Amino acid sequence: MRISIQHLTKVFPSRTKGGKAVHAVEDMNIEIPSGQLVGLLGPSGCGKSTTLFMLSGLETATSGKILFDDQDVTTLAAEKRGVGLVFQNYALYPHMTVQQNIRFPLDNMRINREEGNARALDAARLVQIEDLMARKPHELSGGQQQRVAIARALVKMPNVLLLDEPLSNLDARLRLQTREEIKRIQRTTGITTVFVTHDQEEAMSICDIMVVMKLGVVQQIGAPQHIYDDPNNLFVANFLGTPPINIFKGKIQGGKAYIGEEAVGDAPYGDREVYVGIRPEGFIYNPQGALTLNVDHIEVMGRDKSVVSTHESSTKPTVRSIIDSDVALPEGAEQLKFDIKPYKLFLFDAETEERLR
Amino acid sequence: MMEENDNIGTPQEPPKKHNKFVQYFINLGARIKGWFVDKYTAVKDFFCGLFHKKTEEEKALEYSGPQLSRGEKFRRGLKSQSGWLFVAPALVLMAVFTFYPIIAAFVNSFKQSYSGMTGKFNGWGIDNFVRVLKGDTGTGGADFVQCLVNTLILTFISVPLSTLLALLISVALNSIKRVQKAYQTILFLPYLTNALAMGAVFATFFKIIGTQNNTETVGLVNIVLGWFGVDPIDWVGLRSPHWQIGSLSIPWAKYVVTIIYEVWSGLPFKILILFSAMQSINKQYYDAAKVDGASRWTVLWHITAPMIMPQISYLLVTGIMGGMKQYSAIVGLFGVTMGQDYDMGTMVGYLYNYIELGQTGYAFAGSLILFVIIMIITYFNNKITKKRTTYR
Ligand SMILES: Nc1ncnc2c1ncn2[C@@H]1O[C@H](COP(=O)(O)OP(=O)(O)O)[C@@H](O)[C@H]1O
Ligand SMILES: [Mg+2]
Repeated sequence: MRISIQHLTKVFPSRTKGGKAVHAVEDMNIEIPSGQLVGLLGPSGCGKSTTLFMLSGLETATSGKILFDDQDVTTLAAEKRGVGLVFQNYALYPHMTVQQNIRFPLDNMRINREEGNARALDAARLVQIEDLMARKPHELSGGQQQRVAIARALVKMPNVLLLDEPLSNLDARLRLQTREEIKRIQRTTGITTVFVTHDQEEAMSICDIMVVMKLGVVQQIGAPQHIYDDPNNLFVANFLGTPPINIFKGKIQGGKAYIGEEAVGDAPYGDREVYVGIRPEGFIYNPQGALTLNVDHIEVMGRDKSVVSTHESSTKPTVRSIIDSDVALPEGAEQLKFDIKPYKLFLFDAETEERLR
Repeated sequence: MMEENDNIGTPQEPPKKHNKFVQYFINLGARIKGWFVDKYTAVKDFFCGLFHKKTEEEKALEYSGPQLSRGEKFRRGLKSQSGWLFVAPALVLMAVFTFYPIIAAFVNSFKQSYSGMTGKFNGWGIDNFVRVLKGDTGTGGADFVQCLVNTLILTFISVPLSTLLALLISVALNSIKRVQKAYQTILFLPYLTNALAMGAVFATFFKIIGTQNNTETVGLVNIVLGWFGVDPIDWVGLRSPHWQIGSLSIPWAKYVVTIIYEVWSGLPFKILILFSAMQSINKQYYDAAKVDGASRWTVLWHITAPMIMPQISYLLVTGIMGGMKQYSAIVGLFGVTMGQDYDMGTMVGYLYNYIELGQTGYAFAGSLILFVIIMIITYFNNKITKKRTTYR
């Protein structure tokens, strides 16, 4: 199922008299090709869940349109859209067994018991919980509950699968495992899937298409790697990547980008104040390098080492540069000099915070 | 589990197998006994500890800090047992007003021809029980079986009915967005009104008041029925229709009135409980149900009701308990004679009736039987609710 989101807007009236209305989603436009896994990424409160609920039909859009293939579903009731929804805290019915939970959507479709059970079992197999069918939700671990919720969403063979922060209630290990699982399930079923998360690593690792949002406004849409390598603005650059990008206050003068008095790269743009963003992997150690950093300490972690240093123009307390662990660094040096890989350096207008390119 | 422990170290006797019902009371007894033993030991320890002169060894073992004065010791002792001080007044009151009467009722029910005035009685025996159950009290008072049947029928119809109605009304109330508060208040009003007064008003609604110019003046209910061509029914009066089964009378018209009254007066509290329980159900369950295409009916029976099952069974249990003790509503509706020849008598009404007649022996016996019946009902209540209350 192809999804087309056109000028979608959601305004919540203010809860108090005379308060300000909340613009949860503002003029959103996304085209999602059939069978893709799309990640909605953004900090908490940026309107991801609201978008998802509008797709599911639980929230009505204030304006704009949602098309499934060529059908306008903007005002269609939730149960008629054929979507499967997985809630952040799963919303499994505590008094029903796993099987009853999974079968619930089928029961509502008046599918007979035998077929219902068979399909519930299929869905359970897909998420590998077929041995837990007789249990109640409270007898399951978080990860298992999560799978039940996914099975329940999948069992009716939805056109669209919607997942609201499906991994946020899992511990770190399980989260890693489960996100692979979600990817696998999505590949197997080929269902167009929209997936909400505030964890950029999660989104980066499993999405085909990533949508970065901030305060209800879409910032950038594209393949995760592409967005990482070519961010539209300071917010996106800052939001993606672990460890995060280093940001310096700087300026452009005569076609060169400066951090302090040191020129770190070419900048064929007019003179102005800028933010200079350098990805941690963008540093090359060179005793005659362009940028001088005051070393705080060095962390060695297997393949690479991390130089943690300070710089007076940095907007963050520390600057982190990651270099290959074979690169020999002078023992106990207080300052180190680095060259900057041009494609790992981004310039943002200090005022608009938009990328200069 | 207790049995296993008791068997440790003693010659192995095969543990007696009781049926579940008996076992329940045995366990109950053991628990009650355990409670008293616990308290007794605690009290004993407290006082012994206070007055016991300790040997040097004990002192060394117990407390290695600075020497304590007797006053300080007393204070510490009190502190460690201070819970007792708080429950003491309640315990005393309960002893006087609860435990003593229970025991006295038990003892007195076996005194034959007991006179409450003089305290004289004519030997011990189960004469009271036999006469009560046979309906052979020879005083023209209420009939025990009639009262029992009335109580059971009224309770087991009106309590489930009003709980069900309360559930439906709460669901409706929960789906109202605007004037919810106002409705809530209106629905709660009957709760604040006196049962006798309400009963009297109800009776007037249903009454045939008298004859005027050869037409009967009737209450509101009969007027409304009249619109549909139904002849006036004497719902609460002397000509009230009833069925007769042997010596048992089934005054169905009066039952209808009583049940309507009980349901109506029971609603507010039940709605209050169920409504607030519903409000605390996570909205996401309903969202999930909506996406999954559940109908309103499915949502009510498969989501809302199971989620508030603890509250529903609480209402059923307390409702049935209350129903077994109903009396004032009957008086309000049918007067102190509880209908005609006590045909609307209830169990508690029976007790009052015989106390009033000076036949306290029958009242004691009746109360003991009532006690046993309530125990039995409680047993099944517990059984059923244990299964249904927790969805865990
Ligand atoms: N029902 C509602 N009424 C009013 N404001 C809401 C409602 N739901 C969400 N919001 C507001 O809309 C914004 C976006 O919320 P949400 O979509 O839940 O964010 P996210 O899922 O990205 O954390 C938030 O500011 C939130 O407070
Ligand atoms: Mg959210």
